[in-house]
Amino acid sequence: MQLIWEGFVEALRLLLGGDAALYQIALRSLWVSGLALTVALVLGIPLGGTVALTSFPGRRLIVTIINTGMAAPPVVVGLLVALFLTRNGPLGQFRLLYSNWAMVIAQVIIALPIVTGLSLAALQQLDVGLRQQIAALGANRLQAFFYQLREIRVALLAAVMAAFGGIISEVGAVMMVGGNIAGQTQVLTGAIVQETRMGRFANAIALALILVSLAFTANFVLTAVQQQGRRV
Amino acid sequence: MTATADAPYGAVLAVRDLSVRRGGKTLVAVEELALLGGQVHVLLGPNGAGKSTLLHALNGLEQADGELVFGGRPVKRRGGRLALRRGTAAVFQKPHLLNTTVRANVESGLRLRGVDRHEARRRAADALDLLGVAHLADRRPVKLSGGEAQRVSIARALAVDPAVLFLDEPLASLDPPTRRGLTNDLLRIFERSSMAVIWVTHDRDEALTVGDVITYLEGGAVIQTGPALEVFSRPATASFAEFLGLDTFLKGRVANGLDGATRLVLDSGVELLCAEAPDGPAVVAVAPEDVVLFTTRPDEHATSLRNVLEGTVKAVVPSGRLLRVDVAAGGLELGALITRAALDDLGLAVGGQVVAAFKASAVHPLSRHERHGDANTRTERGG
Repeated sequence: MQLIWEGFVEALRLLLGGDAALYQIALRSLWVSGLALTVALVLGIPLGGTVALTSFPGRRLIVTIINTGMAAPPVVVGLLVALFLTRNGPLGQFRLLYSNWAMVIAQVIIALPIVTGLSLAALQQLDVGLRQQIAALGANRLQAFFYQLREIRVALLAAVMAAFGGIISEVGAVMMVGGNIAGQTQVLTGAIVQETRMGRFANAIALALILVSLAFTANFVLTAVQQQGRRV
Repeated sequence: MTATADAPYGAVLAVRDLSVRRGGKTLVAVEELALLGGQVHVLLGPNGAGKSTLLHALNGLEQADGELVFGGRPVKRRGGRLALRRGTAAVFQKPHLLNTTVRANVESGLRLRGVDRHEARRRAADALDLLGVAHLADRRPVKLSGGEAQRVSIARALAVDPAVLFLDEPLASLDPPTRRGLTNDLLRIFERSSMAVIWVTHDRDEALTVGDVITYLEGGAVIQTGPALEVFSRPATASFAEFLGLDTFLKGRVANGLDGATRLVLDSGVELLCAEAPDGPAVVAVAPEDVVLFTTRPDEHATSLRNVLEGTVKAVVPSGRLLRVDVAAGGLELGALITRAALDDLGLAVGGQVVAAFKASAVHPLSRHERHGDANTRTERGG
């Protein structure tokens, strides 16, 4: 108990003292996960919309793949990305392994099925009558899509929260493809693992506090936005 | 789709040989239909008749084969359908309001058409005012009653000043007082407007209240179309007559006499005076509300009831606020609707004697009676 208490006090001292290394790791985490989330949203929402609102052969298979991807273990994603990016892999010539870009790619692959699957499910559940009404209001295809997104905004924000929570707290894939290199590719989760292994519990607790605060703040803001449009 | 070269003059929207197919099945096939400005055209028919499918095809929501001309221009594939939707507006049975304020809902059609925010706000305010719901502008749809929500939905449609207003069972989910109020307001609005209105309903009273022209559909086909009163007073088929509540069908031969009267000689030998019809085999329909009951034969000169039949009461069953009395008379079975007070006054009881009488004009010869070949019996219906 003494160990935990001392670690906690030291962690607060580090945080309040503005430890540069600590905040650099936090900023890197935010940057990597923020960029990955943005890419996943830009790709995932139109993809989910296309699958939800159109019919084509093999659609059911695509939906199954998306749903499976939502539950894909991050270490498997890490392994696949590492295989592709390794020097002898198909994308080896880009020399991306053990870089921040490799972590972004892995996190996009983790977040994309979550965003796609949740937006697909929400759009599919939208009342067909409302969809017809939007078309009857004079919306072209693109306008109709944005109007429908606005109607499912609560579900979309849930997708954002789920995807962000999934990637900011993920440790397996980022360590495999980022290498957890201090000062270069180390993010909060990887740093917590390393500091704990080395017995530097105060640093680990400080990093954990930042991680939890980031997740809480992001979800607090998103929940506030989500509940603003509450129907009842 | 190609242009209908000879679309009726002044038709805002016209179709020829329009059909909607799904899964190899034809849901609706219409040879011709024209909507005129300033007219309320009712699409009437039972559930599953294809009314809503036709409405969706007419406003570009449903893909259809055939010719569709809007504002004198043929409606081509996707681009034309968008232009059609932007020149018209639709209100459905459910209000389908967007999850935003009432004001933003009414502005939405205008904003989608590129109208600037200031102008959209002004026109939305006018439309809300017209429907008497201006005070609800800042509310969200969940805070509205069914009637209020439908008024907002109609305001949203009218705000875009459509050339055609499509109404798909707009009153179906409202309670009777709300329905009456909204009907009156809509009729007031239509009176001052030059837009064409197409109104889908399965309610015959609603159709007659609002319709200038009525098109009756059944099984995806137009059975009859024409001015509302004419269509209601001369249903072409037994099924339409039945839909209108005429449930006594009699088969016989029409013979026009030298005295100017048209007589129907029934297969049983009974002779009835009926409305005008050409000589030959015929099926006629009689509405139960046109049949009057007496305990004794009425004075022939005191009434205009030319058909008088003596018989017995077979059954008395409730029919809404009235009672339906089934009478066997002269080898026929007739239904008559009377009030509970009238039943008491007449002292009618099952098995008792009764006299059924009706006017010649109440005997409607059907112009297309091939579908009711087994007529001469009353159609069985639930009480």
